Amino acid sequence: MDEYPNIDETLVALADPTRRAILARLADGEARVTDLAAPFAISLNSVSKHIRRLERADLVRREKRGREYILTLNAEPLVQAARWLEAQKALWTWRLGKLDEILKEPPHG
Amino acid sequence: MAEFTVTHRYEAAPERVFDAWLDPKVAPRFLFATPTGEMIVCQIDARVGGRFDLTERRPDMGDVKHVGEYLEIDRPRRLVFTFGVPQFNPEMTRVEVEIRPAGSGCELSLTQRDVPDEWAERSREGWSRIVASLEGALEGRQASAWV
Repeated sequence: MDEYPNIDETLVALADPTRRAILARLADGEARVTDLAAPFAISLNSVSKHIRRLERADLVRREKRGREYILTLNAEPLVQAARWLEAQKALWTWRLGKLDEILKEPPHG
Repeated sequence: MAEFTVTHRYEAAPERVFDAWLDPKVAPRFLFATPTGEMIVCQIDARVGGRFDLTERRPDMGDVKHVGEYLEIDRPRRLVFTFGVPQFNPEMTRVEVEIRPAGSGCELSLTQRDVPDEWAERSREGWSRIVASLEGALEGRQASAWV
């Protein structure tokens, strides 16, 4: 588990539908903060809070260009999260297989 | 949120498979075990509200303590417990084990889900779906190359 130190930050970031929608939009390409906020029925302030949470998880990066802030998606934490999930599944699969071996052992005299 | 299910088919009867999880002679051989570790502590209080401690000594990490509590014990159908690994994470995870008869044996499915309360009320949409929908951003990466 310590091989994935930021997994919790990523999972919390993904645990919100607005944040997931923001990430889906950025997967199509970079966007200005104001453009990103446009489709949502919530305030720009609320969207900004979500963006900050995503930045904390390093899922979104912010760059100043001229007077604007441009946001881009960083997919690396998602790759890590997917790897972590696969590792968890593999471990439990192994454990269930181990139980199978144990149950097939001949009874002890 | 980060939820998954794994299944396994056993030739043994449901009761044998179920009992293995709570038997202090059997459980440490597979539960929270890893291929290179050695279970050095096994304490199981097998009742609803009872706690357990299974500590494994691993060559790369030292002693890794798994602690938790039994939430449901419905022999031989359903076992639900929480567990945490306090050294790495203060959060608890919830595991649900369901055992259904199948032929002369049984099928076990294990579902792991995160417990943190702040996530419990969130949208049910699995994050794995968003990973799939963001696949375009993961250019060139093959899922099969992970792990």
